[in-house]
Amino acid sequence: MTDQSTGKAIEFDRASVRFGQFQAVQPTDLRIEPGEFFSILGPSGCGKTTLLRLLSGFLDPTAGDVRIGGQSMVGIDPSIRPTALIFQNLALFPLMPIWENVAFGLEMRGWSRARRRDRAYELLATVALSDHAEKMPAQLSGGQKQRVAIARALAVEPSVLLLDEPLSALDLKLRQHMRAELKQIQARTGITFVYITHDQGEALTMSDRVAVMNRGRIMQVGSPDDIYDRPANAFVATFVGETNALAGKLASTAEGLALMETPLGGFRAANPKGLRAGDEAILFLRPEKLRLLAPGEATENHIPARVLRRDMEGAWSTLVVEAGGQELKLHLAHDGREAPPSGEIALGFSATEAMILPKGEMSDD
Amino acid sequence: MTKLFRAFGVPLSTVILMFSSIWILGLIAAPQLIMIEQSLWRMERPEGAAEISVQIDGLYNQLDVMALDRSTAEAGTDATKRAADLAALDAKEAAINAEIAALEESESTPVKVYTLANFGQMGAAHLAIFAKTIAASLAVSAIALVVCYPIAYAVAKLETPRTAAVIMLALVIPYAINELLRIFAWQMILNQNGPANLLLGLVGLDPVPFLESGTGVFVAMVYAYILFMVFPLYNVLETLDGNQVEAARDLGASTWNIHRRVVIPHARPGIAVGCIMTFMLSAGSYAVPYIMTRGTAAPWFTQLIYNRFFEATNWNVGAAYALSLLAVCTVFIFGMMRLLKVSLKDIAK
Repeated sequence: MTDQSTGKAIEFDRASVRFGQFQAVQPTDLRIEPGEFFSILGPSGCGKTTLLRLLSGFLDPTAGDVRIGGQSMVGIDPSIRPTALIFQNLALFPLMPIWENVAFGLEMRGWSRARRRDRAYELLATVALSDHAEKMPAQLSGGQKQRVAIARALAVEPSVLLLDEPLSALDLKLRQHMRAELKQIQARTGITFVYITHDQGEALTMSDRVAVMNRGRIMQVGSPDDIYDRPANAFVATFVGETNALAGKLASTAEGLALMETPLGGFRAANPKGLRAGDEAILFLRPEKLRLLAPGEATENHIPARVLRRDMEGAWSTLVVEAGGQELKLHLAHDGREAPPSGEIALGFSATEAMILPKGEMSDD
Repeated sequence: MTKLFRAFGVPLSTVILMFSSIWILGLIAAPQLIMIEQSLWRMERPEGAAEISVQIDGLYNQLDVMALDRSTAEAGTDATKRAADLAALDAKEAAINAEIAALEESESTPVKVYTLANFGQMGAAHLAIFAKTIAASLAVSAIALVVCYPIAYAVAKLETPRTAAVIMLALVIPYAINELLRIFAWQMILNQNGPANLLLGLVGLDPVPFLESGTGVFVAMVYAYILFMVFPLYNVLETLDGNQVEAARDLGASTWNIHRRVVIPHARPGIAVGCIMTFMLSAGSYAVPYIMTRGTAAPWFTQLIYNRFFEATNWNVGAAYALSLLAVCTVFIFGMMRLLKVSLKDIAK
């Protein structure tokens, strides 16, 4: 646990999984670096859990190879893989006291009772649960159980820790606290973390890199900033964060920018994919990049709109407006003094803060 | 009680209470109490009663003999001699009848005496059969457990719910046939000339006396009561979270260790219920040993109880025998619960 470089690299080499007629995972190439905190983010049914099961060993790829630390894992039983898995429901053994839960992996490795008991207490101390070692899992709170599950997985000193949405059952405050704690444990142990989630907040806050998956295919791999600021396609742009999408056709292009015709009018925006005039495309505009214009203010892109309603979110509020028959959202910093805008308004955005991507499948949530 | 009334209202609560009382009295208390009462007494005659009844028997014999004398006398040809003989016989008969009446007067009716003696009536031979029955029932439970555990686990955890339903249905269907018929079928299968021995013969083995050796009783009992083991096990294994099994495997547990540390501890209430049911049904079974052995192998204890009641017509000793069996079964239930660390609450689930 103190060794700073215990993590191992993971490689998916054209790995695919097929269940009968259903292609759960398309042939996938992916490399996860040793000691990396890597998240796989996607809607339910996108194949992220299948990918995790390929690593834990409860599933072998239909084709291709999965390697951990350069070694092929195909046909290797979960019980002898250098991985440990934390389940969504934690799967603590309800009939064993906490310390036996933590020591279970060591028991299976033939450690003597006294030795594994000592080790379990040590591990429980690192997650501040020493006082609860003799209790049963049912007597612990959600956050405490979470930490027991982590200690139990760490006890077998894995090179790769696999986490299957382990925080989804916790309430918001505890979830945020556990995020920090997981990140800290990862930094301390140097273990490669592969974190499965459908919660983009978790993926973005904790990860070194994130893979966004949809329909068995990895849509994009990148740092949280890349994923949010430079989505590679329409799916990532709509799945991660909120966005306004305007469908249309490119009219002309110039120096990384393009002019696009939409039902709301012509807009200039970044064209990172080098689309050409005449291409069908979608313009993506984050709500926080859309500004409320002062009367008479000029801007690159101008949208006349009408306020529908305002949703108070706390630090900001979301203004829902109607423009050209389409709903748009924008975030307004909330200062509690100004009267919220109403009626007919004008919105604007700068060309570099909006992005034109090829037409493609979008997330529906 | 007030909670009950508040929840269901007075009329419905009264009905519920009435049915509960009938249940408790009629199905639990009354049969046991009557059996206990029956086992605690016997009819006893006062001292000397045996000799008196021997005397009475003797006098009745004399009357029978005199009936012969009378027919001889009646056949006589001399009318006067015949009249004299008959008069003498009449006088003698009257005297004997008077004596009988006097003796029967003094012979008092048997007295009902409460005693524990009925429980001491079991001789060494019956005690051996009692012990053998308990041991055999334990063995039947153990065999049923060993056979059913893998089936129940496979169906509950490895099959899809649809396949599981089909398999469970297939297990139940044979039980729609009357138990006796199924046992007779097994009797035929295991017969000296039955299919089982036919198969052994094909492999070149000598026929095995399954029925005469008592093996047949085992086979038929495991078969007859297997369902009572499968269902409690299946029910409890179905509630096991599959992630627990995977978690254990992920942490390095072998299949054996997964079962020893995770699955079996979870299945304990089901194991307890299954063993208790199988044991009680086996120990209390009458038809299976009767049909399978037809007297060729040592009897089951239930057969002795039956004999006490209907052949020796000593219901008191029969009740004592039955009660002894009940006591052992009760001890077994609590023993199992203790052994498997299962409380009544778990079993009720």
